[in-house]
Amino acid sequence: MTDPPATPALSVRNLHKSFGPLEVLRGISLDIAQGAVVTLIGASGSGKSTFLRCLNHLEQPTSGEIYVDGVPITDDIAGLRARLGMVFQQFNLWPHMTVLGNVIEAPLRVKRMPRPEAVALGRRFLAKVNLLDKQDEYPARLSGGQQQRVAIARALAMEPKVMLFDEATSSLDPELTNEVLAVMRDLARDGTTMVVVTHEMAFAREVSDRVVFLHMGQVEEDGPPAQVFGAPVSPRCRQFLSSVRA
Amino acid sequence: MLDNFYRYVVLNAGLLGQGLLVTLQVCVQAFVLGVVLAIAVSLLRVTGRIPRAIGTAYVEFFRATPVLVQLLWVNYVWPDLFGFPTTAMGAGVIALALQTSAYLAETIRAGIEGLPRGQLEAGRAVGMSSLQIVRRIVAPQVALVMAPALISQMAVVIKSSTLVSVIAIPDLMYAALKIVNEWFEPIEVLTSTAFLYFLLIFLISLAANRISDRFRARFGLAV
Repeated sequence: MTDPPATPALSVRNLHKSFGPLEVLRGISLDIAQGAVVTLIGASGSGKSTFLRCLNHLEQPTSGEIYVDGVPITDDIAGLRARLGMVFQQFNLWPHMTVLGNVIEAPLRVKRMPRPEAVALGRRFLAKVNLLDKQDEYPARLSGGQQQRVAIARALAMEPKVMLFDEATSSLDPELTNEVLAVMRDLARDGTTMVVVTHEMAFAREVSDRVVFLHMGQVEEDGPPAQVFGAPVSPRCRQFLSSVRA
Repeated sequence: MLDNFYRYVVLNAGLLGQGLLVTLQVCVQAFVLGVVLAIAVSLLRVTGRIPRAIGTAYVEFFRATPVLVQLLWVNYVWPDLFGFPTTAMGAGVIALALQTSAYLAETIRAGIEGLPRGQLEAGRAVGMSSLQIVRRIVAPQVALVMAPALISQMAVVIKSSTLVSVIAIPDLMYAALKIVNEWFEPIEVLTSTAFLYFLLIFLISLAANRISDRFRARFGLAV
């Protein structure tokens, strides 16, 4: 007897999103396997960020279905969000809470975890992003790279099924970018399921299991990095890659 | 002059002190009620179209009418219209609160709208409810941004409160006028009264600014 195929961590079926007359996503379907690292690349305006934001309903999809662990998401949006960790380009840490406060806020309020347990959990994830020594600082006193690592710890603290990264390094200087990418590499190595929107082609090539190229709201190319970067089928993908390499 | 100061101010210190207490009582109650109303009105103004229209009408009306008119209106008209307030004190508190809330509602709304969108999205992204986001993320940050406006509004309330003597609330101004009208010696009494109001507002502003600066410094924000 063979095992049934594993349920994907995240399934998206025919996702559409329009802003008024502008159709940004034109029917995207993707299965993200447990533990996979999938990077989304594409020109600006191709719909990468909108797709990511639709996944946790920060943008309401116009139509389409989303399944987390095989369970369809219908009306429990907060529950969906709690199972998808999101890391933003602008970090979006809460400035009036300490680093630890930021990380344990959702476990305390959303999961209603007892404080000592939440603190232990928060410290564990801060250690994971190498910022345990900053737990009592306020965000304004941290560098951009440190703030983004705290934001990653904050998302991890909900122990989500999938981590979503929305251009997590785009507002960082190159040397700070590296410290954030290092944390993301660690997560990938630990088997965290990740969907990463990025302009870091080196990261996409080295770390991801799969690269998806979006063009005008549709999946134009989808495959392992060696194929997408080495021998893309789509001419548009080839064009895009040569423009970012130049 | 010292003689007059002793005769009219020092000997009447009890009366003036009692007036000061009443002033504090009116102002604190009006301010607290004003803040509560302001929060409610500002939430109306960021909700839907009809609530926003109601909120806007409220703000415009109470900002464009003089405090003295509101005081008289609430004191003499409201009991007939609504059956309350039943005391002059209540009328004074409500009238001052209405005006305060109209000004503060504007500031709160600007504070809410000035908050970066990402702050709310970060809350939504971890599954927080709207109420949790307002309570844990929006309110503390708006309060911090608003601190200077709150402090100057407190000063406005204290200054406007000098008008409540016209509806026979025995505040500091009322006590001072009473002494003046009894002895026809305004110099020492009114000068002392002005100084008392100055001291009250100055000390409250100083303390509030200190507290707000301390919070800002703690969060690593510019003071």
